[in-house]
Amino acid sequence: MRKIFNLALGVVTSIGGFVEVGSISTSAQAGAEFGFSLLWAIAAATLFLAALAEMAGRVAAVSKRSVAAAVRERFGFHFQVIPLGAEFIIDTLLLAAELGGAAIAVKMLTGIGFQWWILPLGVAGWVVLWFGNFSVIEDGIGLLGMVTLSFVVAAWRLHPDPSSIAGGFVPSLPHHDLTRYAFLTVSIVGATVSPYLLNFYSSGAIEEKWNEQDLWINRSTAFLGMGFGSVVAMGCLVTAAIVLGPQQVKVETYEQAAQMFVPIYGRWAVTLFALSLGIGCLGAAIEIALNAGYVLGQALGWTWGIDKKRRDVSRFVAAFTLALLLAVVIATLGLDPLRVTLISVALTVVIMPVVVLPFLVLMNEERYAGRHTSGPFGNSLLGIITILGALMAVVVIPLEIFGG
Amino acid sequence: MDVVRDVLDKSLVDRDGREMGRVDGLLMEQDSGQPPRLAAILVGPAALGFRLHPRLEPAATVFERWLGIERERPVRIDFAEIDDIGSRIRLRLAIGETAVAAVEQRLRGWLVKLPGSQ
Repeated sequence: MRKIFNLALGVVTSIGGFVEVGSISTSAQAGAEFGFSLLWAIAAATLFLAALAEMAGRVAAVSKRSVAAAVRERFGFHFQVIPLGAEFIIDTLLLAAELGGAAIAVKMLTGIGFQWWILPLGVAGWVVLWFGNFSVIEDGIGLLGMVTLSFVVAAWRLHPDPSSIAGGFVPSLPHHDLTRYAFLTVSIVGATVSPYLLNFYSSGAIEEKWNEQDLWINRSTAFLGMGFGSVVAMGCLVTAAIVLGPQQVKVETYEQAAQMFVPIYGRWAVTLFALSLGIGCLGAAIEIALNAGYVLGQALGWTWGIDKKRRDVSRFVAAFTLALLLAVVIATLGLDPLRVTLISVALTVVIMPVVVLPFLVLMNEERYAGRHTSGPFGNSLLGIITILGALMAVVVIPLEIFGG
Repeated sequence: MDVVRDVLDKSLVDRDGREMGRVDGLLMEQDSGQPPRLAAILVGPAALGFRLHPRLEPAATVFERWLGIERERPVRIDFAEIDDIGSRIRLRLAIGETAVAAVEQRLRGWLVKLPGSQ
């Protein structure tokens, strides 16, 4: 019974924690500019993410090693320094973007300029990390994040045509702006398949002491949680398509994106959008900072864990503090949070092959996957993700320049 | 045994199972007329830095000095102190007999002043 409850909680928290600054902005832009036609990109990206997360969880449950620890041991520091360095840079940029997104949300609610909110939000995030434990942080973020279901409710109440929605799940070429379409496709994948999510997921499996008996919980949490979570991003895309599409709005600020809620929620529109954006972004910011501690601690062999006494994990604490501090500085410099988001999403795509490739090796070795090594299906999926990841890594920078 | 595959980068624990970091480097010695032999494992940012680029070793040492750590850097542990090589490397030593925890202890000295650190 307790395991069923844990599973349900895991699924709910995955849904509540799914959307953040990257998925909201890319989904809103995709919907406003291309209608429902990029729904397939969210579905495909979610399938990739869920498959990789399930594998990361499996390695953690079987070998008691997170992805970062397994990569260091199996491939050595010379290889790892590339994904590790890239992940720390991307984490810090994404963290700055999330803090910026959360600060804009508070600005929408209070009218006070967003730069003033970045430091207080960074401090609030640090206080949660200092005093919280893993379940408080994960469950708290997930449960508060249920407010993001307002995207799904809005889409539902706009009564989209089911056959048009179904058509969006079939990849197709647009009638206009092919470059922009390709750019948004790649951005959706980059915003969804974040490396931080994979290591955070496997670290969570270790924090919660999963073992081989928990593999079904792992599979269900990864596929059901992230599958349902993607419905929130799809709700954002559909709402933007129906409301902003006919107005020819090209979403360049979060204030513009908030307008998608007006026909459904009226005078509550901005409040609900701001709460969804704010909670989604601050929750993601806390998880990203925590992951900076995880990834450095695991790769470099420090004692780590958010459930341990802080005095016993001082380097781990220093790492998440440093990531938050750097992000606060970047966000306070006044860079446009939406632009920082797109840069970090593009960088995520650039390093995707280096992140995915180790999975192909780890999932086929008994030392890391025990009796649960990948079968032909898992290996084919990893092969497809690696090849697509490599192709996208080549085109993302030109697309960012010409399509973004 | 393949020391690069089985020892380098592996997790290191002391005789009581306490985490000591990772094997960041390997040290070989050669006396005149003798074949080279594996002498020690190295632990710490200086050893890791050296593996990436020789100039990163002094940079890591400067950083540790800035933290006020002057003791033997990187930490050198004789190969003879290895008790077992499995999925982790277990030593015959206790963590307190080495300087591997120096950075952790220095940071702890600051952290314990904050409420909630215990």
